[in-house]
Amino acid sequence: MNDEKYEMLLNVLDKAENGPVLDENEWDKKYIGETVRNLISKYDIKWSLKDQFIVSTYDNLADRAFEAGMELAREIGVYCVDTKRQMKFSRQELEKSLAILPKEITAGTGKDTVTVYKRNPEDPKRVAIWGGPFGVPVAEELFKPMMECYAREPLIDILDNVSLLTTHGRPIRAGAPTEAVAGWQEAVTTLELIDRVGRPGLPLGCGSNATTEVGDLANTTYGGFRPTDVHKLSFISEQKTAYHHLTKAVHFAQTNSLTEIFCNTMFGGFMGGESGVVIGVVSGLILLNACYLGDIPNSGPTHVHLSCSTHPGIVSAMSIGFQALSRNTNLLIAAHTRPTAGPGTKDIFRETAAYLIANVVSGASVVNCTQSAVGNNIGHASPLEVRFGAQVAHSAQGLSRKEADKIVRDLVGKFADIQKEKRIGKLFTEVYDLKSLTPTPEWQAMYEETCEEMRSNYGLKM
Amino acid sequence: MKETIDWVTVQKEFLDNILQGDKEAAIKLAKNTLDTGCEPLEFFEKCVAPSLEEVGKRFETLDIFLPEMVTAAEVVEQVNTEVINPAVAKAKSIAITSKGKILLATVHGDLHDIGKNMVALMLKVNGFEVIDMGVNISPSDIVERAAREQVDIVGLSTLLTTCLPYMKDVSDYLQGKHIRENYSVIIGGAATTPEFAKQVGADAQGNSAAEAVEICKKIMQVM
Repeated sequence: MNDEKYEMLLNVLDKAENGPVLDENEWDKKYIGETVRNLISKYDIKWSLKDQFIVSTYDNLADRAFEAGMELAREIGVYCVDTKRQMKFSRQELEKSLAILPKEITAGTGKDTVTVYKRNPEDPKRVAIWGGPFGVPVAEELFKPMMECYAREPLIDILDNVSLLTTHGRPIRAGAPTEAVAGWQEAVTTLELIDRVGRPGLPLGCGSNATTEVGDLANTTYGGFRPTDVHKLSFISEQKTAYHHLTKAVHFAQTNSLTEIFCNTMFGGFMGGESGVVIGVVSGLILLNACYLGDIPNSGPTHVHLSCSTHPGIVSAMSIGFQALSRNTNLLIAAHTRPTAGPGTKDIFRETAAYLIANVVSGASVVNCTQSAVGNNIGHASPLEVRFGAQVAHSAQGLSRKEADKIVRDLVGKFADIQKEKRIGKLFTEVYDLKSLTPTPEWQAMYEETCEEMRSNYGLKM
Repeated sequence: MKETIDWVTVQKEFLDNILQGDKEAAIKLAKNTLDTGCEPLEFFEKCVAPSLEEVGKRFETLDIFLPEMVTAAEVVEQVNTEVINPAVAKAKSIAITSKGKILLATVHGDLHDIGKNMVALMLKVNGFEVIDMGVNISPSDIVERAAREQVDIVGLSTLLTTCLPYMKDVSDYLQGKHIRENYSVIIGGAATTPEFAKQVGADAQGNSAAEAVEICKKIMQVM
């Protein structure tokens, strides 16, 4: 890490130690809740999903959303839950942290290197695919066969992992030595696996088995995850950090590790509904960048009851929020797909398609797919929905927002009313053959039918 | 002589007051209604409780969001503190305005709290007394606080599978101190399942704030 960036990071740590002391409840209600309501009104962040659009085509709305998000970021800053202090950033500091951003980065090594490009709305440039189960919990004995299936998917540029239920037969405890054991098991096994499938330089999202800093610090070192892998830092909703994230930020900076920095604004939470989520996405990603000085800021807003990121209100809010950021910054923004549906259903494909099309045409640099069945149903994930998502995302490159809106509206019409049913679908072992490590004929057929639906109904080149 | 009260109108006005966060208007309405000769418990049962239930329903359908629910709950707490409870004490009647006492905590290792906070709010708006310990709470602290506060229910939350063992610890510690039978233990959060609840001897597991309320109502009817 260069000296200038490290100095900026040290200043961030100073803010956590010296900022004004605040009550956390007051933060949520007054600082976030009231301020966001005022900004919605001030910047007129309003639209109708039913009568106007799901995917926005309005540049001035995007630019107003950017100003609103910037104002929230500047006025409120970040809350450190460990020190109970507000970490404020001046407009100058926020702008500086945005100004030093590169327009592209590379991850991985050798033939497995991927370039992540800054993209604009309707950009034909290639979107990077970060694919995997994203921490779906699985039984330890399924770890290797399942991850080998994912690693074999050629469209995956960055590979994410499962979350193990046990490590060497033992329960994993957050913050305990077993978290370090699980983290090492993830690192060593996955590195061996990608070498075996002929993709030794494939960048890995890490670590899915790190709950606290124990897991991440233990395995981002010699023989573990590499600087060219992508390490994770996050906010706690809304706009909160903690010592363990700041500690990881320091470690990743010193090891020159690539980082993904993510926040999940709550739809229906203190930011409110669609309008608040727009502002939360913009403010959140600007502040993530200023606080952690990371590489890939990621947003996957969460519906407060459904836990998904594919609710139509969120899809629409993301389109505006991402256009705001891609039009006004060089942030390499990533969109995180978390459908309610799981493998073995067509709903998962449709939810994934709607979300990814909306975000790719709005300027996403990376798409994360797919955290199936909202990511917390044991064993409910498969690589086929990732393959599908990658194909849809690439097909959406260069699409106009107007065309995208028509497609997304039609797709949303097919799944919006049934999301509350939470069709988690089938287990990995029910949709994949464990001997051949390929989809079952039934699951393959469903995938091919939906691909054909994308081609014939929407003209997507799948 | 006690006046006839148009509860439909009163309840609608009270609901509007609490949704708008108008504490003064809500308190004034409560006082005026009690001044007509209405018993405080009757006001709570015919006005406050249905209003809170409506708030909970509107949050379930996201006709209102979390800030409105927090505001409504806070206004009702003020009405209870300034009007209902003093009136109850004055009348020296035994008024049970609390359905039960519940201790909530996100277990050790986990900093997530939005789900737990939603459960806390929904329980409050449904008439429970809630003690919220916050996040990253050690099993021993949870057990110690439960005993000190003499709660009816211990509610544990976690989003993370790696924090599930700490839920088991709470159950084990209660057993170890021979006080398990004094409490009902309920668990929730994305990482929990009914199977895990059985494994650790929890009384119930829930997947949503609304479900948590139903579970607690059922438990308190039995106890």
